[in-house]
Amino acid sequence: MNALSRFAADKTRSAGYGILVVAVILLGVIPLLMESLYSLHILVMVFFYVIAALSLRAIVISGQFPLGHAAFMGVGAYASGMAAKWLHLPPELTIPGAAVFTMIIGVMVAVSFSRLRALYYAMGSLFLGVAIIQILNAGGTWTGGYSGFSGITPMFGNSKVSWYYAALGLMILSAAALYRFEFSRIGTNMKAISQSHLVAESVGINEAKYRILAVAIGSFFVGLAGAGYAHYMGTIATSSYNFMATMWLFMYVLVGGVNNFFGPIVGSFILILIPEYFRSLKTYSPFISAGILFLFVYLMPGGFAGLIQAAVARVKSWRRERARDVAAD
Amino acid sequence: MEQVVATIFNVLILSSMYILVALGFAFLFNMLGILNLAHGAVYMVGGYIGFALINSAGVNPWVAILIATLIMAGFGVVLERFCFRPFTGDFNRIVMVGVGINVVLQTAVNALLGTRMQALPSFFDGYLRFGVVSVSYQRITIFLIGAALLVLVSWFVRRTKHGQQMQAISQDIEGAALSGINVHRVSALACAIGSGMAALAGCLMGSYLMLSPYMGDLMLIKALVLVILAGIGSIGGIFVTGLILGGLDAVAPVIFDGAVADAIPYIVVVVVLLLRPRGFFGREA
Amino acid sequence: MALLETRGVTVHYGKSLAVEDVSLRVEEGDVVSIIGANGAGKSTLLRALMGLKPVTDGEIFFGDEKIDGMRTNEIVKRGLILVPEGRRLFPYLSVLTNLRLGASLVEDKDEIEKTLKDVYRLFPRLKERRNQKAGTLSGGEQQMVAIGRGLMGKPKLLCMDEPSLGLAPIVVEAVGEAIKDINGKGVTVLLVEQNVHLALEVASSCYALQVGRVVMSGDMDTMRSSDVVKKAYLGG
Repeated sequence: MNALSRFAADKTRSAGYGILVVAVILLGVIPLLMESLYSLHILVMVFFYVIAALSLRAIVISGQFPLGHAAFMGVGAYASGMAAKWLHLPPELTIPGAAVFTMIIGVMVAVSFSRLRALYYAMGSLFLGVAIIQILNAGGTWTGGYSGFSGITPMFGNSKVSWYYAALGLMILSAAALYRFEFSRIGTNMKAISQSHLVAESVGINEAKYRILAVAIGSFFVGLAGAGYAHYMGTIATSSYNFMATMWLFMYVLVGGVNNFFGPIVGSFILILIPEYFRSLKTYSPFISAGILFLFVYLMPGGFAGLIQAAVARVKSWRRERARDVAAD
Repeated sequence: MEQVVATIFNVLILSSMYILVALGFAFLFNMLGILNLAHGAVYMVGGYIGFALINSAGVNPWVAILIATLIMAGFGVVLERFCFRPFTGDFNRIVMVGVGINVVLQTAVNALLGTRMQALPSFFDGYLRFGVVSVSYQRITIFLIGAALLVLVSWFVRRTKHGQQMQAISQDIEGAALSGINVHRVSALACAIGSGMAALAGCLMGSYLMLSPYMGDLMLIKALVLVILAGIGSIGGIFVTGLILGGLDAVAPVIFDGAVADAIPYIVVVVVLLLRPRGFFGREA
Repeated sequence: MALLETRGVTVHYGKSLAVEDVSLRVEEGDVVSIIGANGAGKSTLLRALMGLKPVTDGEIFFGDEKIDGMRTNEIVKRGLILVPEGRRLFPYLSVLTNLRLGASLVEDKDEIEKTLKDVYRLFPRLKERRNQKAGTLSGGEQQMVAIGRGLMGKPKLLCMDEPSLGLAPIVVEAVGEAIKDINGKGVTVLLVEQNVHLALEVASSCYALQVGRVVMSGDMDTMRSSDVVKKAYLGG
């Protein structure tokens, strides 16, 4: 890379940092500006789902498709909720504990399927996910069964504003950790694997090890999101963690743009907030979500991030042309 | 005795319905690697079209089922042409479009007919009795239609030119194109047949159990179970895994309570997949 | 007029150039061969001819028709057929079904039966094995099925991509005989080969490809006496 293009890259990067700082500050002052507790509630949900979507992408970039990822969010949620309710442990302990527990389950699946093609891991994850949901449904009073699990130990005296900052903080910390991971040497190797198995093998990267690691990290964070969400809601139901729930996590990632770290964040905001805005349509409101999906499938194949990249590239080439024109004059 | 015969019929009916839906899914999955997430919704909508025609328009049940099947077969052609073909090989976008279609169909049914569970009326009243045992004609008919259709489809895939072309595409898509097979047209045909079979299964299941706008999600997972446990590329294996899953689903409730019975089949599936990750009759190494 | 003519055909794989500005002519009734090392762009060129890979530049004519941009099955319908590298058979279908599928675009049933008899005459082994699954055959037999399947589509021009690859010398000999036989029945043949001996034996003219470009062309005598070919392929 020559000095000029490095300078250009630095400039776009610092512009990116600028946007990030502004966004964080904006999210930080929202509770001071907004009266509506309901809006805060929606945003808290978005924060937890951002963590889940980011954790999903951490696995996807290693070339694997955990089609039961939402069930692992459920594992975190039920593990923490049950430990707090039945063992009377403090949520401060059960939430990280549940994240670790989810990680262990995730690793067990990954190890079982690590030597096979990605499709089999995807299916293993899917079927285990369904089994987990069904086992939770069959848990009787321990899990509340089909009617849902309630009475999960609350935190922060159920204050929406406190929860808002806690969830925002958790989201920023998780995002920072996952960002560090993705751009570490391990993360780079992992992406190399997803691009080509043969190449990765020929340069001596141990495929299975990296794939399992990706699942471990992704499962930890999705468990964390699930656990936090459970204590925030107080009541959870298995239907929030079924196959379609996993598919929606995928949609958050894909609409945002799977090739960009910030894709899942933007995607979660788009796919939760926009349909929420059209809540008054009641039965018809899912059409909005579907409409967003079709819009991205047919018109913006790279997701939101792809759109931004294309726009940036266009501006750059326009500038270059202008510079050339000026030089020609 | 009564219980045993009833259970056997449950096994046969559930198995044949699962296989009908799973075959349609497997066609596209094996041929083009398309994960058709709208397939469950097609099954569900087929059932509701049959229901609406019989209950609201007073159409003869047989005619209604035929119309529902044809409508969804037509929908299958549209699905292949505009939702899958443009994105061949792009897993992400095919998943997105499948979820989108799924949401649209579920929401449409919810909005038009409400979320209340509905049932298709019986086509036949009365019971077939031998000695102490009796089976309703309704169940016998459902099973016979399902079984006849399965025989017909196996014959189609094995013996007809288009069926063999479908097999050729799933075994080597480039070899198929180079043989002059119009891959797009055969795929559209496969999607039409698959969607029609799913719709027909939806009607039959709607008269056997109940219709619900979300019944497709569950059926989609069952179809995936059948296809994956059979092994990718295997059509015959789906008949075996269909009988296994149908058996588990029909027998478990006899022995266990509701929620436990729902859980057992999937625990078995996970264990089987751990022991035989490539399924029973998988073709790839 | 040439049966097949490419004018300045350029093909990319992603961003890298695989075939650059290739112009070649195949006259009706000839056996033309394209030789070149691994990665010279031979297979890519054939895939472009068949519409399996889009051309980034240039034109392809078959007869008087421009065929670049057409779908593969439309190209096959016009009588341009490829026996692909690696054979690409349908391993779980019988030999007979494999052959019949090659006639997917032929409507006339009697015609199909007649061609099938011709194929069996050319490769009697296939008749013996007709009910066996194609995937269970030996490499040489599979190559026969692949060529037979190509013939079933009634080609005017049969392209073959490395038919000798991985076969024992004696089988390569048989493939060479088959090519001559096919050509003798009036089918034009375009043979892509790394095995230059086979190419030189059966072809009447030849193009040499190197890193995506035509570096030499001419009739067989010219090629045989060329220093380039001698050095590169014939071991001095």
